[in-house]
Amino acid sequence: MRWISNLFSRYWRNVHFISVFLLSLILILGGGRVTSLVSGAATAVFYTPFAEVKNTVVALSMVNTENRRLQLALVEATAKVVQLEEMEGENARLRAILGFTPPELYTLLPAEVISVSGDHVSLAAVINRGSSDSVAVDQPLINEQGLIGRVVSVAPNSATVQLLTDPTARVAVRVADSREMGIAKYQIGTGMILDNFPIQGSIKEGDLIISSGLGGIYPPGLVVGTVLSVERPEEEPFCRIRLQPAANFNSLEELFILMVAEP
Amino acid sequence: MKIIAYIFYLLLIGLHMVIVRDVTSLLDAVINLPACLVLLVALYKDEVPVTWFGFLAGLVAAAGTPSRLGWYALLMAVLALAACFVKERLNLDSLKAKLLLVLGGVFIHNVVSLIINGADGFMLLLATSALTGAVYTTLVAWLFFLFKEGKLTVEKIKSIF
Repeated sequence: MRWISNLFSRYWRNVHFISVFLLSLILILGGGRVTSLVSGAATAVFYTPFAEVKNTVVALSMVNTENRRLQLALVEATAKVVQLEEMEGENARLRAILGFTPPELYTLLPAEVISVSGDHVSLAAVINRGSSDSVAVDQPLINEQGLIGRVVSVAPNSATVQLLTDPTARVAVRVADSREMGIAKYQIGTGMILDNFPIQGSIKEGDLIISSGLGGIYPPGLVVGTVLSVERPEEEPFCRIRLQPAANFNSLEELFILMVAEP
Repeated sequence: MKIIAYIFYLLLIGLHMVIVRDVTSLLDAVINLPACLVLLVALYKDEVPVTWFGFLAGLVAAAGTPSRLGWYALLMAVLALAACFVKERLNLDSLKAKLLLVLGGVFIHNVVSLIINGADGFMLLLATSALTGAVYTTLVAWLFFLFKEGKLTVEKIKSIF
């Protein structure tokens, strides 16, 4: 037995190498079935975990790239939506204007508001029409909602408009139904009021107020506003009447200058 | 514990074959990590485990090409045994000697691999792939030796930057 043991230890490494050689020979000559089995096992144990990691990283990278692309597309789409909403609003305004007809003896000159001045309330606006477009001082301006104001100064290519919300502006008006007259003006803090309206006059909430044409600036029949509230205090000769202006002075964009039509 | 170390080396080969190999390739030159690992293990371990490790490393490295599985396993086992043979008979204490062994071993492995694959344009591949791959692998082995001998440390690398 010892002889065998000595012989075995003496040729120990040769035994191992012969084993390795024989196994290799089996793999070389064994055909596809054996090699497929061995390579499948080796792949499953030593390749698959790393392949999954690699695939996950590649997939994450693709998702990241896709995410960036979609974020960019979202920003572009959002910008387009805002642009379309803006165009939709403009379209609605222009459609409303289409059905608008000027008072007799007047023609309409369209103008766009360049800027509006005033702290809490818009007091004046600058428009893109001037003396080169035959715009002159005291010409009234309207939009599809109603009276806006009048031109107070003119430059060659622009003009300044005093809005009805300016406390120094006055409009001679009348109640559309009763035809009784008064002065519309704007008070800071109160809003638009109808001044100088006698206490025994016929007026009620919701009445339409239009320009009377007596001031010499605004032609008759332009919508100024509607009556919000009427108070008839005792021992006072005039009513306290609050008006709701017809035009929205916070969103002025397209206006029309009333030009006297040439015969 | 010894077996765990060998399993770790085999996993390292799997990682290299699946992910690192393509990422680190320079033109036709690729790091031959399986051969490099077998040679490095042969420098520090005994003949018998190294022979088996070479055989298994060959199996793992060639798992993607089942038709050549046996040849690669045999080639790697012979390489491991030859490295042990050289280690026993030559003085490999110096860094240059170790690097020369790695360079020669990897180059021979690359050449025999080309023969086994029966690649067209053998002479061209010898220069563009086998030799450059051996040099590239030797550079990696050089970094390993520098780390192992403490000549290159993480602190030293950090101090450069």
